[in-house]
Amino acid sequence: MSELTTAHFLFLSAALFIIGMVGVLTRRNVLIIFMCVELMLNAVNVTFIGFAWEQNALTGQIFALFVIAVAAAEAVIGLGIVMALSRRLDTVDIDEVRQLRE
Amino acid sequence: MAIEVLIFYLLAGVAIAAAAGVVLARNPVHSAVSLVLSFINVAAIYVVLRAEFLAVAQIIVYTGAIIVLVLFVLMLVQQQDLPEFHGGRPLRRAVGFLLGLALLAEVAAAILTRSLRGAPGSWTPEAVAAVGGNIQAIGRELYSAYMLPIQATALLLLAATIGALFLARPELIEERLAVARRLFTISLAHPRGVDTLQPVAELPAPQDGQLKPAGGDRSLVMARTAEEFTEQPAWGESRR
Amino acid sequence: MEWIADWLFIIPLAPLVAAAVNFLLGRWWIRDRAHWIAVPAVGISFLASIPAFLAVAQHHEPLSQHLYTWIPAGDFQVPVTLYVDQLTAVMLLVVTGVSFLVHLYSVGYMHDDPGYHRFFAYLPLFVFSMLMLVLASNFLVLFVFWEAVGLCSYLLIGFWFRRRSAADAAKKAFIVNRVGDFGFGVGVMLIFVTLGTLNYAEVFERVGTLSAGTVTAIALLLFTGAVGKSAQVPLFVWLPDAMEGPTPVSALIHAATMVTAGIFMVARAHPIFVASPMAMLVVAIVGALTAFIAATIAVTQYDIKRVVAYSTVSQLGYMAIALGTGAWIAAIFHLFTHAFFKALLFLGSGSVMHGLHDELDMRRMGGLKRYMPLTYWTFLIGAAANAGILPLAGFWSKDEIIVGAWVAGYPVIALIALAAAFFTSLYMFRAVFMTFHGEERFDRAHLHPHDPPWTMSVPLLLLAVGAALAGFVGVPPEQGWFHHLLEPVFEGTAHHEVSPVTTLAFGVVSTVVALAGLYAAAAAYVFRSVSPAAVAERLGSLYRLAYNKWYFDDLYQRFIVEPARASAVFLWRQIDVGVIDAAVNGVASLVVWTSQLWRRAQTGLVANYVLAIALGTVIIVGAYLVAGSSLFR
Repeated sequence: MSELTTAHFLFLSAALFIIGMVGVLTRRNVLIIFMCVELMLNAVNVTFIGFAWEQNALTGQIFALFVIAVAAAEAVIGLGIVMALSRRLDTVDIDEVRQLRE
Repeated sequence: MAIEVLIFYLLAGVAIAAAAGVVLARNPVHSAVSLVLSFINVAAIYVVLRAEFLAVAQIIVYTGAIIVLVLFVLMLVQQQDLPEFHGGRPLRRAVGFLLGLALLAEVAAAILTRSLRGAPGSWTPEAVAAVGGNIQAIGRELYSAYMLPIQATALLLLAATIGALFLARPELIEERLAVARRLFTISLAHPRGVDTLQPVAELPAPQDGQLKPAGGDRSLVMARTAEEFTEQPAWGESRR
Repeated sequence: MEWIADWLFIIPLAPLVAAAVNFLLGRWWIRDRAHWIAVPAVGISFLASIPAFLAVAQHHEPLSQHLYTWIPAGDFQVPVTLYVDQLTAVMLLVVTGVSFLVHLYSVGYMHDDPGYHRFFAYLPLFVFSMLMLVLASNFLVLFVFWEAVGLCSYLLIGFWFRRRSAADAAKKAFIVNRVGDFGFGVGVMLIFVTLGTLNYAEVFERVGTLSAGTVTAIALLLFTGAVGKSAQVPLFVWLPDAMEGPTPVSALIHAATMVTAGIFMVARAHPIFVASPMAMLVVAIVGALTAFIAATIAVTQYDIKRVVAYSTVSQLGYMAIALGTGAWIAAIFHLFTHAFFKALLFLGSGSVMHGLHDELDMRRMGGLKRYMPLTYWTFLIGAAANAGILPLAGFWSKDEIIVGAWVAGYPVIALIALAAAFFTSLYMFRAVFMTFHGEERFDRAHLHPHDPPWTMSVPLLLLAVGAALAGFVGVPPEQGWFHHLLEPVFEGTAHHEVSPVTTLAFGVVSTVVALAGLYAAAAAYVFRSVSPAAVAERLGSLYRLAYNKWYFDDLYQRFIVEPARASAVFLWRQIDVGVIDAAVNGVASLVVWTSQLWRRAQTGLVANYVLAIALGTVIIVGAYLVAGSSLFR
C-alpha cells in the first residue's frame, strides 16, 4: 500500500467497470445506458494503460487509443439509432422497445 | 512515493464517486456532467501512468466530442416524461447490484492472486525520454507496427460517418405511414408478409404446340359418385 | 427320347416368359393381343411335355435336369432340379393339356374384359407355378411353388377386384389356404429337423429311421397342407366362394390343377404316409367325410357354378379316400379323369352363363337344350362322367376307389363313398335337367342364348372326348395300361389282390346307385312326379343343414373371424392409436410444451437480455477462477 502497484489500477478499473455494468442493468433511460457503456469502455482503457505502465511497453497505450477511436464511432451510430428510435416510438424508455418479443 | 499513492487515491476516489453519480442521478444531464468529471479524473490518472498522449486524447475525444454529442441528443430527445417517473423495478435493481458485487468479488480474487506477468517491453522511461517524449514514442510504435489497424480504423470511421448520414436523413411521411402499416397489419399468406403494390410480371404465353395436357393423354374425369370413381380403369386394365 | 432331359426347363419357362411379357408390356403394346403370347406359350409347354412323357413311359427311368443350387450350405443343399418320373409325367400332361384348352377358351370368354392382358399375365404365371410344383425334387421348392399357386389363385379369384364379394372371396381363399400351409410348413421343418435333408430321394430313403410318432406327426402335418389346398373338411370353405373368379379360372385352378396339388403331394410323399398307418386312416376318414358332406350340400345349391364347386370338393374327397386306403394309383387315375370332366363341366357352365349374360341361378335357366345343343351334349357327357355312368371316364376311376377301400379293409368308408355316389349322380343330373330341360325360365325378350364361338367350343369338344374315353387307359381295372405305367412309382406299398368277382359286383352296385340318382333327378325335375319342395319340407332340419353348408361358414365366422376382428380392432384402437400414436404425438407435444416454457425467456426487453449477458459473464469468470487460476490450488 505504500507503493503504487498495478493492483491499484486494476481495482480502479474493476470498480469503474462494475459501476458501469450495474448502470446498464438498472437504468431505463437509453441515453444513461449509453453513458454507462462509455464508462465501461473507459474502465477497460485504464486496465490497458495500467499494464502498459507495468510492462514498460506501449502496446497497451496504442490499444487504448484504438478503443477511444472505436468508441467515438460507436457513439455516433448508437446515438443516431437512439434518435431514430425516439422518433418512431416517442420514448426513450428501454422497456418500451419490445418488438423482438416472440 | 507516498505522495503518488495519495494523489492516486484522490483521483480514483473522485472518479469512482462520479461514476456512481452517473448511475444514480435522476436527471440525465446530471449524469452527463458526472461522466465528464469521471473522465477528467481518469485522464489525470493516465498522466500519473506516464500516458500523457492518451490523457489528452481522452479529454479531447471523450469529453469534448462524445459527451457533447450525448448532451446534444439529450436535448433533442428532451422528454418531460422521464422513465424514472414510472415505478422503480426494485427486483431489477437488486439483481443488478448483486451481480455487480459478485463480479467485484471475483475480479478482486483474480487481481489478488495474480501470478502472470507480461513480457517486459523496451519502452522504459529513459527510452521514452530518449526519443523525445510519450507522443514521439507512440508515433514511432503506431506508424511502424500498427499501420494496418490505423487503416482499418479509418475505414471504420468512414463507415460511421456514412451511417450517421443515413440515420440523420429527414423522415418522409410516406415512410412513416409504411412503417405503421407494416407494424400493424398481419398478412398470413403473402411470402414477404407485406402487401406489395407492384404487379407480378406476366409469364410469356406458351405457343400452342408446346402445350401438353396436364394428365398426359388420359382425360381427366371428375367422379361424382363412388361408382364413377371405381369404374376408372386401374393398373392392368385398358380403357374400353 | 432322352434328349428331352436337357430341355425340360422349356416346360415351365415358356409360360413364365409369357406371363412376364404380358405383365410388363401388356398395358401399352399388347392389350387385346395378349392371347397371342399366352396361348402359344402354354402350347409349347404341352408339346414339350409329350416327349418327356414318352421318354419316361418307355424307359421307366426318371429324367432330371439340374438348373442351379438355390441354397448351398455345407451339408444342407437345396438344388432346383426338374425331376420327371411317371407320376410327374402324368401330371405334366394333365396340367399343360387342360391349361392349353382353358387358355383357348378364355380368348372368347374374356373377350370384352378391360383387364384382358392382366388375365393373360396371371394365368400363365399360375401354369408356371403349378408346373414347377410338379417338377420339384425337394420339399422346399415344392413349398415355394405351393405358396405361388396360392398367390395366383388369390390374384385370379379376385380378378374383378372391384366387386366386394370377389375381393372377400380372394382373401378367404388365401387365408384358409394359409392355415393349411402353416401345417405344411411345420411338417417340412420337422422333416428337416429329424432327417437333415429335404430332397425327396434322401428323405424317402431315411424315413425308416424315424420313430412311429415322428412319422405320423410329419405325415399329418403334410396332410394339413393338402386339407387346405385340396379343400378337404374342414378347410373346404374357400372353394365355393372362389367361384367369384372368372369361369376359366375355376375350370383350371379349382378343378383340374391347383386343388389336385395336395393329392399329388401326398402321392409323391407316399413313403412317409405308408410308414404311418394312423395318418393314412386319418386321410381316409377325412376324405370320406369330405366326399359325403360336399355331395349333400351340392344337392341343395341353386348356383350352377357352386354345384360344380361342391362336386369338386366331393371328388377330391374320393381321391383322399383312395390315398388313405392305399389305392395310390386309383387316386391318380381319378385325378386324371376328374381333370377332364370337371374342367368340361366348368367350361360348359361358363358357356351357359356367357349365353345368358352372366346368369348364375339355375332357377332362371331352363330349356336351353334347343338353343345350345353343343353345350348341352358336352355338358351331359361331363355330368354323366362325373356321376359314374358306364362306360364314361368317371365310372372306371370312381369304382376303383370304392373297390380299393373295400378290399383294404375299410367297408364303412366304401359304403360312405357309395352313398356319396348316389348324391353325386342326383345333383349332377339335377343341374342338367334344371338348366337344359323343361320350360324356359329366362327372360325370352332380352336374352338370346346361343352356342359359343369356336374358341370356346373346341375346348368343350376336346374335353368331352377326353371325358368319354379317358377312362379306358385304366381298363381292365387294376391292370390297365395306366396302372402298369405308375407301378414303378408306387412299388413298395402294400398291394391288395382284387378278385374279378368283387370288381364286377361293385361295378354293378355303383351303376345301380348312379342310375338311381339319375332316376330321382328325372322324377323331380323332368317328369315332375316328385316335388323338390315337398321333399325339402319332409327332411326339414336335414335339408336346412345341407342348404346352409353344414354351418361351417357360420361356425368359422362366429368362433374365428369375429374374435379375430375384435382383437384386431382392440389392437388398433388401444395399442396402435392409444399407445404408439399417443407416444409419437406425446413426443411432439412434449417438444411443444418445452418450447412454450423456453418461450418465456424471449421477453423482448433489452434489460433482460443484458442481465443474461452479465450473469453469463459472472459465471464464466467464476468458472475460470475455480478451475484455471491459482486460487484454489
